[in-house]
Amino acid sequence: MNGAQDSWGRSTARSCLAALCWIESRSTLVAATRTDFGDLRLNLAATIKGHRYRFESVKEVLAKANAPKSGDRLAGVAAETPVERVAARAVLAELSLGELRNSPVVPYEDDELTRLVEDDLDLEAFEAVAHLAVGEFREWLLEVTTTGDKIRSISPGLTPEMAAATAKLMSNMDLMVAGAKCRVVTRANNTLGLPGTLSARLQPNHPSDDLKGILYSTREGLAYGCGDAVIGVNPATDSPESTAEILRELEGLKERHGIPTQHCVLSHVTVQMQALELGCPMDLMFQSLSGTEAGNRAFGISASLMDEASAMMGERRSSLGPNYMYFETGQGSALSSNAHHGADQLTLEARCYGFARRYKPFLVNTVVGFIGPEYLANGPEVTRAGLEDHFMGKLLGLPMGCDACFTYHADMSQDELESLKVLLGAAGCTYLMSMPVGDDIMLNYQSTSYHDVPSVRGLLGKRATPEFDAWLHEMEIMDGALPGKNFGNPSVLR
Amino acid sequence: MSATRELVAKLRRQLGEDEPLAPARPALPLTPPPRRVFPTKRAKSDYLREASQHTTALVGIGHVGTRYATDVVLQFQAELAVAHEAVASLLPEGWRAEHGLMLLNTEVADHQEYLMRPDLGRRLAAESRELLEAAALKDIDVQPILADGLSARACVESGMNVLSALTSQCMGLGLTLGTPMCARFARVWLEDEIGELVRAKVAIIILGERPGLGTGDGLSAYLVHRPTVGKTDGDRNMISNIHRRGLSPEAAGARLARMASAMIEQNISGVELDLSRVGGELGSQALRKPEPRVSLVECSR
Repeated sequence: MNGAQDSWGRSTARSCLAALCWIESRSTLVAATRTDFGDLRLNLAATIKGHRYRFESVKEVLAKANAPKSGDRLAGVAAETPVERVAARAVLAELSLGELRNSPVVPYEDDELTRLVEDDLDLEAFEAVAHLAVGEFREWLLEVTTTGDKIRSISPGLTPEMAAATAKLMSNMDLMVAGAKCRVVTRANNTLGLPGTLSARLQPNHPSDDLKGILYSTREGLAYGCGDAVIGVNPATDSPESTAEILRELEGLKERHGIPTQHCVLSHVTVQMQALELGCPMDLMFQSLSGTEAGNRAFGISASLMDEASAMMGERRSSLGPNYMYFETGQGSALSSNAHHGADQLTLEARCYGFARRYKPFLVNTVVGFIGPEYLANGPEVTRAGLEDHFMGKLLGLPMGCDACFTYHADMSQDELESLKVLLGAAGCTYLMSMPVGDDIMLNYQSTSYHDVPSVRGLLGKRATPEFDAWLHEMEIMDGALPGKNFGNPSVLR
Repeated sequence: MSATRELVAKLRRQLGEDEPLAPARPALPLTPPPRRVFPTKRAKSDYLREASQHTTALVGIGHVGTRYATDVVLQFQAELAVAHEAVASLLPEGWRAEHGLMLLNTEVADHQEYLMRPDLGRRLAAESRELLEAAALKDIDVQPILADGLSARACVESGMNVLSALTSQCMGLGLTLGTPMCARFARVWLEDEIGELVRAKVAIIILGERPGLGTGDGLSAYLVHRPTVGKTDGDRNMISNIHRRGLSPEAAGARLARMASAMIEQNISGVELDLSRVGGELGSQALRKPEPRVSLVECSR
């Protein structure tokens, strides 16, 4: 697409930049120059209104092109002025996807995640897009003729840096329009991500892992139609015994009512492996991921450990599959363990997805507002991060959900949080979290509530995943798209 | 007339020539929906009674359509406001001096900067460093440090009680104590710099923890052996949930003194510290027990 407007009437990358700069003459506004020196040294510079901005590396361009985030300011990698940010975007728009492949933010020699992405890259898919500049790739994604199927064909040829770069040239609505196109469907005991569906993780956490307390919360959530993505408990005690105990309790509930869903206890992956040795049911295996090898070391994991864990689940899981892994990510995790290598948090987040896709997970979600205001300061930053992460994850072929949330020391209002859930639903987000009144009584933060899930579904004309939807109908919790006679009544479950 | 105009005119006829909607039907007196009462206040059903024995999660709250009843909305907003107020609270002017605490400041200038710059909250301001060097006791066993953390309110409410319990328990165990002090806009790792400057064997920072919905009075305490700048979280031990409904300030003081004593004895802190030898409850992580969730909103007219 080379014209000034595409068929949606949406501005091209160039004219978006012009609008951002607020300068009269669009054609003379931004001039990005890019000179190949044959090796990887690129001349990275752009001129805006006569001022020339030069950048030392692709990593610096990526960081400075990022939308404002407190975590990038904390890391000292953010653009210093709004105009410098646009200059970085102008340079980024001209870089080709092939050049981005050659400039990972952490070198191949230094990081196993970089190696894993490079070594596993689908070269045929890569060749199809390698010549496109990031600005052109953004436009290709937004074209009406670019369907979810087409995106799926090129997805295995993309590196995380390409996904992050594209997100940086997109507005929130661009991220939603492109994200909603992506088709990612996964299956364990039920099928997630089909058109017209919005699923929910039921998160019945308890500060002392009281099994009955967990069960009361779970029954309540099921009665509001939540829990089709997973019934997933963050345990207070990270031990194999308590992990197994909680899983057996959830298994009992699933069996009593024939609930077509999955269970999971989100202890450390090594603890879950020990729990499997104890011989407990486990539908999904969970782990938090970071975007660098050093970040993952701080989480106590590595690629070889995850390979081993995934292989063990392949044999011993209690779910049908073929997908059975569950990952959580979130912008800022690498910086918080000082493992960011001078890269921005959006690019590092994308690298988590590059790692995750190796395991064909059933679920991935980004926890956007949990880590605190020093990484995402306020409502607009959290909102944007949720939409960015959803888009990048989907583009890279992952079943992305989002824990839209805030901590009580962040500058985000409940109204902003509720709006974000609707935006995510409209962007085709695979699933949201759900807990009583959105209040996690163990982790002390505010997320999606049991009431929010049927509300967003109702607003957007979405339903639970088909197997679970049929169960809700049988239980008379839902009556078609509307609440049924047992809606909100947990006493119909034992 | 062009085909398009004809089409538009036809649509207009089909949609109705005048008002697009039929007149609304006459209003009848409304029956209020069944009143949903915030559950812990007037729990009636067996489900609610039993649930509240096991969890403080707000279950059994019913619904109007797919949304909350009004009393749930108000309860939620009250709890949210309590949490936000705790975060925004500041140490009152003069509070530290009144309680005989040495006043320390970090490099943080104001509350907003405190939230956004954890790195600055981990470093002492230059004049505080000089004050410590000039006036604080040195070469001690235990250096307790009170701090505001994420809830100055919690520090003001329970800080002195924890400190005095810790002091008397340490003296009972024959441990020497540093000058009582309180740091403003402080993060956990500040204890490393302070402890290093006063050459303490163990530094303990006691500070307001991240508030939860409806709470904001909890303190946490972090202990580190041989404090030096550059210690990591793996080098620390902590106890949380110190408030009237959780671990009492008195019990917390006693626990902290025993942990400090164990660190000195074993010459280590963090993941390698053997807490089983300290006895009883210290061996396992202190879990927050469910607290009764009370209705915050009372309205009479």
